[in-house]
Amino acid sequence: MPTTAETIETILIDKFGVRRDAIRPEATLTELGLDSLDLIEVLFEVEEAFNIRVPQDGAAIRASTLQELLDTVTRLVEEEHAAPKVEQA
Amino acid sequence: MNDRRVVVTGLGVVSPHGSDPATMFTRLMSGESVVREVTFETPTPYANVAAVVEDFDPSALLGAQLRSENIDRVTQLALAAAGAAVTDAAVEVGDDLRYRAGVSFGTGMGSSAAIEETHVQTLTRDPARVRPLTVLKVMNNASAGHIAASFGLAGPDLTYSCACSSSAVAIGEAYRQIRHGYADMMIAGGGEAPLTYSFFRAWDAMRVLAPIDRLRPASTCRPFDRRRAGLVLGEGAAMVVLEDREHAVRRGARIHAELVGYGSSNDYAHMTKPSVEGQARAMRLALDDRGTPAEEVDYVNAHGTGTVINDPTETRALKEVFGARAHTIPVSSTKSMHGHLLGGAGALEFVIAVLGLTSGAVPPTANLETADPECDLDYVPGKGRAGVELRCVMSNSFAFGGTNAVLLARRA
Repeated sequence: MPTTAETIETILIDKFGVRRDAIRPEATLTELGLDSLDLIEVLFEVEEAFNIRVPQDGAAIRASTLQELLDTVTRLVEEEHAAPKVEQA
Repeated sequence: MNDRRVVVTGLGVVSPHGSDPATMFTRLMSGESVVREVTFETPTPYANVAAVVEDFDPSALLGAQLRSENIDRVTQLALAAAGAAVTDAAVEVGDDLRYRAGVSFGTGMGSSAAIEETHVQTLTRDPARVRPLTVLKVMNNASAGHIAASFGLAGPDLTYSCACSSSAVAIGEAYRQIRHGYADMMIAGGGEAPLTYSFFRAWDAMRVLAPIDRLRPASTCRPFDRRRAGLVLGEGAAMVVLEDREHAVRRGARIHAELVGYGSSNDYAHMTKPSVEGQARAMRLALDDRGTPAEEVDYVNAHGTGTVINDPTETRALKEVFGARAHTIPVSSTKSMHGHLLGGAGALEFVIAVLGLTSGAVPPTANLETADPECDLDYVPGKGRAGVELRCVMSNSFAFGGTNAVLLARRA
């Protein structure tokens, strides 16, 4: 199974045409050539891939680095899926 | 006011008869209908007939910038047709032309598939998981916006939606932009991709679609025939490059035809019932636009939907405008072969009429075996006629909502 970082990289490369050699943890999403519309789509694809909801905060995402995105996703995956909610009867 | 002559310098189609205008025209001349059965594996299995754009590969258009999930089929077809028209016109859009060049696009139903998909998603799946660029995909000016961005056109960027007249109106209004000096070049036309399950059901509900001819599905649409029973849906896009004549001559462009008339009228009475008066008025306005004598019209590409009411109404309107000569002008409905492209119909049929003009040939009405007694003109049944001299050709488009649009082209 691919790691969280690999899944995000695959999305960026396959869907958004980001060059593999441009992907560095300290690169911001804007530096990778993604515009404002690309960013909301990246979030959508990441949400789909990990079955999570990223809180809406476009400005923060725009400025965030790949490492910060990875950290956010990792945290959300743990919060939303580590302890499954008890189904209400 | 500026009064400049406007010429057609580029033709581009993505049609049910393919994407090469010459091949498409040859197939139409032979009377080949491409209407075929289409089926949907919905909860209730569904079958109908339609003219489909086959083997369309949008991969050359799409990529990291234009992802298929953000570009509805109608826009994909439109972008491909626009590209073909620009290539045919052999025009370079540099900074000297960019600010004087625009887009005029017509579509009736817009991004049908994306609309359906969004409804399915929100009503039956997870309403919080709607694709983020859905608004940009379904808006009716999505195609015009993408064409302008793709070809670097900084002038007027317009979208017209008046049902089955949409793209004829788009061409006519683009002609006015150039004629009156607001632009030197316009990429004009339209498209439709309405072959979705929910839109079929909506058209069924109106009871205007022809029941499938089970033995010969390709013969389902029979304009002017006594047994005609309705229209058949089609999909596709057609775009033309219109240019200020002097601009075209200066750059040494090949000129297909001169656009010498546009008539726009409304029936002002009923949403669907056509009016002889409204249609005749649009034809006369097109003739009067540049003072074209009615005697010089040598072919009419009819609206000719194949509905019970359209065909005799249009026939009467033609007789009112052309008098006794109406009986000697070839009038054909190519919808019998490529189906009804709705918002894209006017542009596709204008292109077909221009191809007739340039090749000296009149395409036929297919599936016309026994004409309705109320339809008594020369509808060119069966096969087309080559080797005819055409001076002017007329293309008629009439719409739900009452909008009539007539285009008139003269040999350059």
